[in-house]
Amino acid sequence: MNCVRPHWRPLALALAAALSFAGFAAAQNMPLAERIEQCKGCHGEDGNSRLEKIPSLAGQPEFFVMNQLVLMREGVRRVEPMTPFVKELKDPDIFALARHFASLPPKRSDEPVDPVLARRGAEIAAARRCASCHLPTLAGQEQMPRLAGQRIDYLIAAMKSYLDDTRTGADTAMTASIVGLSEADITALAHYAASR
Amino acid sequence: MTDRFSASRLLLLAGIAGFSMLTSSISLAQQPPGMSPIDKSNPAASKQDGNLKPHATPPVATPVEKIPVDKLKLPTGFKAEIWSHGHPGGRTMVQGDKGTVFMGSRIIGRVYAITEKDGKRDVKILLQGLTQPNGLAFRNGSLYVFAINRVLRYDNIESKLDNPGDPVELTKEFNLPPEIHHNWKYAAFGPDGKLYIQVGANCNICEINPGVHGQIRRYNADGSGMEIVARGVRNTVGFDWHPVTKELWFTDNGRDWAGDAGPQDELNRIAKGQEGANYGFPYCHANGIPDPDIKKPNACAGVVMPAALTGPHTAGLGIIFYTGSMFPKTYQNVAFIARRGSWNKSQKTGYDVIVARTNGGSAKLEPFLTGLLDDKKNEFYGRPTYIMQMKDGSLLVSDEQNGATYRISYAGKQ
Repeated sequence: MNCVRPHWRPLALALAAALSFAGFAAAQNMPLAERIEQCKGCHGEDGNSRLEKIPSLAGQPEFFVMNQLVLMREGVRRVEPMTPFVKELKDPDIFALARHFASLPPKRSDEPVDPVLARRGAEIAAARRCASCHLPTLAGQEQMPRLAGQRIDYLIAAMKSYLDDTRTGADTAMTASIVGLSEADITALAHYAASR
Repeated sequence: MTDRFSASRLLLLAGIAGFSMLTSSISLAQQPPGMSPIDKSNPAASKQDGNLKPHATPPVATPVEKIPVDKLKLPTGFKAEIWSHGHPGGRTMVQGDKGTVFMGSRIIGRVYAITEKDGKRDVKILLQGLTQPNGLAFRNGSLYVFAINRVLRYDNIESKLDNPGDPVELTKEFNLPPEIHHNWKYAAFGPDGKLYIQVGANCNICEINPGVHGQIRRYNADGSGMEIVARGVRNTVGFDWHPVTKELWFTDNGRDWAGDAGPQDELNRIAKGQEGANYGFPYCHANGIPDPDIKKPNACAGVVMPAALTGPHTAGLGIIFYTGSMFPKTYQNVAFIARRGSWNKSQKTGYDVIVARTNGGSAKLEPFLTGLLDDKKNEFYGRPTYIMQMKDGSLLVSDEQNGATYRISYAGKQ
């Protein structure tokens, strides 16, 4: 989630600012429904993001969402715009949010998928054995996220951050899996995943 | 794909030749010198189930009533009890002079401090937000913390557990390579007073720059005077010194995606005077198996063979030699090895603690702590990762999966 980046759409910017400045983002006893409302601003009404570089959460494996929220709370995975939303979360809040997002039906990103790139991405994915963790459907499992239908721009940004070691808090297996890939390669992988 | 492979080879050659400036005209991700170009495993050739995957480690603690202590089985006379819990992801353990047990972790990024009062343990999060702080060592009142990308020293730590303050930063002094894969650290002071750590191979199987990766190193405690004490070591994250011979013994995790049968993990010894010897990675594995993907003539020539094979994919991590007085004399100076358990194998194996009885340069293995793996269901209930000897001679075994430690004591006949 990058809602406070300057190039972000004004709506998202205003929303994130309103939420964090109002202070209720950090409220400790916020009901689950209110917390989910906060997420919608960036991650989409139905958990399927329509905003640049914001990941869809709908249909993500429950363990994955739980794990990432814990790691963000701990300051291990540092996603600055997420900090005000996660820093006060207690384990039961995190479990409830994870259950919620895992239960939402995933929808494919509305970005155009380039079929040529998607085919090349499929070849790279086979060589890098992406399916052994993310499953042949790319639906993800346990600590490994759903990639199928995810936003292309987010996937590219995520893989870039693995390549330059700026995404901490993941198992290092992900870094090892894509080491040496070019920007063209990860773009192709992103189109492949989005097409699934 | 062809372009990428040949470009990678070129980069590797450039790295070995010592060029530090890599041309940016090749459209590759940034590759520092010594960066291994690519995992060379061949998925088709391994004939393994393509859906094998690393098991998830929960970032939250198992409730105490669900910790599988009742499943643990030990030789007659030994017993296991929960010693501490509520420290998710806790792995490595070192004890301070005043009795504090410090515990490192991987993904959750925490270092815990466990203190004991009136027979009860208090678990505190001492540090958090670090990148895999698995390497801990204690000397002269100071706690050394090795994260993947940082080396920190907390002086006089046991008198400031509530507020450890700013550490002495030793990151520059140790100058560790930046690659993160297989580079969570194990750290320990040797009998020579040097601080030993490893730098793993930053891939599953690939060519590495032997000047940088696949090593065990030793340093002065301030980070100066680095020496390489073992090469060709894929991924050791546990070592200890034999109490009599003072030789270094280390576990080493074998490569993945070359089949369910291995190559097997290793228990190795660095014989006196053989510091700097080659243990074979990436060309030669286990007791002399040439790698199926990275080939060279006479792959095993000059390679030190293991003292014992510790099973395929079993993931031997922590090892300690027992020097306490609580256990029967037959356990004096034997090694205990925690095997975290397999992921890259259809039928699971490991998830236990074994004993290695060493004799010169070889070792015989026997089971010790079992019960965390159900062979029939092919399910595991816990993952032993590290072992520490307590002052009374009992052993602590950390279970990373459940965020707990078990105390193993002996109450049978001596």
